[in-house]
Amino acid sequence: MDDRPDESVPLVALIGPPNSGKTTLFNQLTRLRQKVANYPGVTVEKHLGKARLSGGKAVDVVDLPGVHGFSARTLDERVTLDVLDGRIEGLEEPDAIVVIVDATRLEQHLMLVEPLLEFCLPTLLVLNMADEMVRRGGGLDDDALGRELGLMVARTNARAGDGIDDVRAFLEGVGTHGPPPPPGRIATGRVSRVMHLPMIDAFAARSGYVRRVLERARFTSPGPSGLTDKLDSVFLHHALGPFIFLAVVMLVFQAIFTWAVPLMDGVEAAVAGSGAWVWSVLPDSWFRSLLVDGVWAGVGAVLVFLPQILILFLFLGILEDSGYLARAAVIADRLMYRVGLQGRAFLPLLSGYACAVPAILAARTVEDERDRLATIFVTPFMTCSARLPVYALLIAAFIPARPVLGPLMGSRAATLLGLYALGVVAAVGTAFLLKRTLLRAPRASFIMELPPYRVPTLRSLTVRLIDRSRIFLRRAGRIILTVAVVLWILTQVPRVAGGPPPVDSSALARIGQVIEPAIEPLGMDWRIGVGLVSSLAAREVIVGTLGTIYGVESASEGSLELQEALQSHLSLGGAVALLVFFVFALQCMSTVAVMRRETAGWKWPTLQFTYMLVLAYVAAFAAYRLF
Amino acid sequence: MSRTTTQQAQADPQLRLLDVPLRQTVELVRIDLPPHDAEPLLDRGLLPGCSLCPVRRTPFGDPIVSLNGTLLALRRETADCLCVRLLEPAAD
Repeated sequence: MDDRPDESVPLVALIGPPNSGKTTLFNQLTRLRQKVANYPGVTVEKHLGKARLSGGKAVDVVDLPGVHGFSARTLDERVTLDVLDGRIEGLEEPDAIVVIVDATRLEQHLMLVEPLLEFCLPTLLVLNMADEMVRRGGGLDDDALGRELGLMVARTNARAGDGIDDVRAFLEGVGTHGPPPPPGRIATGRVSRVMHLPMIDAFAARSGYVRRVLERARFTSPGPSGLTDKLDSVFLHHALGPFIFLAVVMLVFQAIFTWAVPLMDGVEAAVAGSGAWVWSVLPDSWFRSLLVDGVWAGVGAVLVFLPQILILFLFLGILEDSGYLARAAVIADRLMYRVGLQGRAFLPLLSGYACAVPAILAARTVEDERDRLATIFVTPFMTCSARLPVYALLIAAFIPARPVLGPLMGSRAATLLGLYALGVVAAVGTAFLLKRTLLRAPRASFIMELPPYRVPTLRSLTVRLIDRSRIFLRRAGRIILTVAVVLWILTQVPRVAGGPPPVDSSALARIGQVIEPAIEPLGMDWRIGVGLVSSLAAREVIVGTLGTIYGVESASEGSLELQEALQSHLSLGGAVALLVFFVFALQCMSTVAVMRRETAGWKWPTLQFTYMLVLAYVAAFAAYRLF
Repeated sequence: MSRTTTQQAQADPQLRLLDVPLRQTVELVRIDLPPHDAEPLLDRGLLPGCSLCPVRRTPFGDPIVSLNGTLLALRRETADCLCVRLLEPAAD
């Protein structure tokens, strides 16, 4: 592993509970000099960054996942403990710890700090949002707190960038410090020993210790946030609350589907235009074909999702940073609990309407492991944006435009709505089934911290967007590009007289012909079969593939020529079967790959792919018989 | 107040957090949950001996409690497993 090329540079671990401003501080310290990788063997992401300090000095900072405790209950907690103990391959024991807590929630968050003292490393306690604590009438003697705990204390407002210099000053001293100051405290034992005590006693001992320390540091807790109370009386109002919740969900949908469209069209046009230009300047060769028909098409298939994902994460970022997301999750919990999920699944499921890849990653915030797996499993049933071009093409070709609800809704919009609803029904049914079989849980408790409302900052939103798009491009990009190139190769062999074969005798067409008997009962022929195989790269790729097969130049879902070609090769029943197939089938290799990473094995992705395929086949068969 | 009455609850006259009126501060006495389910509560400082005050209910009747100024949302079913005793008469 080359994450730490220079081991003489000190390593500092950054720890803190979720929503404490940890990642904001990390970004402030390291700017964007960051590497994101996974910890070996697990699915937890490792964020490693370099903080450049004055005098040419630098330290490496590892941003540990946000945790509430060290009971090693979740993967995040286990990884945090392993990093602190130096048990991670390629990452030695840290030289110092920076632990950041929300000063307005000091009593809770110091519960996390206490076990850290056992590591006897130079430690800086960062009291983030201390200004807000003071504003709400709280008070604290920082020096006394530092003396009691045997560590250094700094106050920051990480979002505004205040107090960051104090953190830098601490980092500059790392490696030059002597041994940490002797702890003037009553030890409750090392982390490992504490966990051997009966659990509740260990927590009680820690809580008692924290209370004594805070008393000696003359801590007065801040009063309730008046603004938060006022906003909660609106957002959690018994009548207004659900209404606002629905409005927010609608707004996110509107953003993904309406406002993202011009941007997506722009990306598509730019990719197509640049591809055509490359085509025109390069001499006719297999290389030109690979570049334009393979690579360019693949890159286009990836980039076209980017505007939507950026818009989605901009909205979710605003919701999360403002504190509303936690309220939305609490409102959604009632509904989710009915089907066996929990409120935290709301965010991943909503993201699933843009793309399942970031949605599955977002499921990490679902605390209970069984709930997380169930959430991941049903996420691909949410109608992602890659299905839309397929739906649009088939609906335009086969569903005549007729009013259904007077002028309110036409038959085409109703069909589209029906396809979305079908996905939701499948998700609900599957979650219900899973929680009663494979992921049966006796009884799960639910607790969710509601952070105070805050105004999101542009800086933190920007960093989040850059981070999210990087992850998407890396996770989905590679796979979509690879599959696109493989598909191109399959259209180029076997060579005929030194050139590519006619469309209907290429290796890709053979594959379609081989699976034709299997899809014939669904009313589909080998051409659709080829489309189904190619859609494994990303679902919307089928549109371009069908265009190639039917010999339609630069086909898009709006192409009348392509619609006519489809009408002459596919019956209405076959078209409906194909639509239904796309609702259920896991036609997306990127999702499968992300599933494998997030569940650390092939078991869940294999099960999911098979389950969704069987469901898709049976439903498509039924649809073909019906229509 | 309707609640999912567990067998334990029937045998035990202990006051549950779910039944505490808003703005009434109580002390947490016992958590009737298996360790796996209790741990997320303990991590957030919800320990026997701590003072809690229900401040609000969500639109679907789930309680939101204040613990040292921090707001914690609980599921009704979870709050029904938290045994509490009254600390002081209701304010206001």
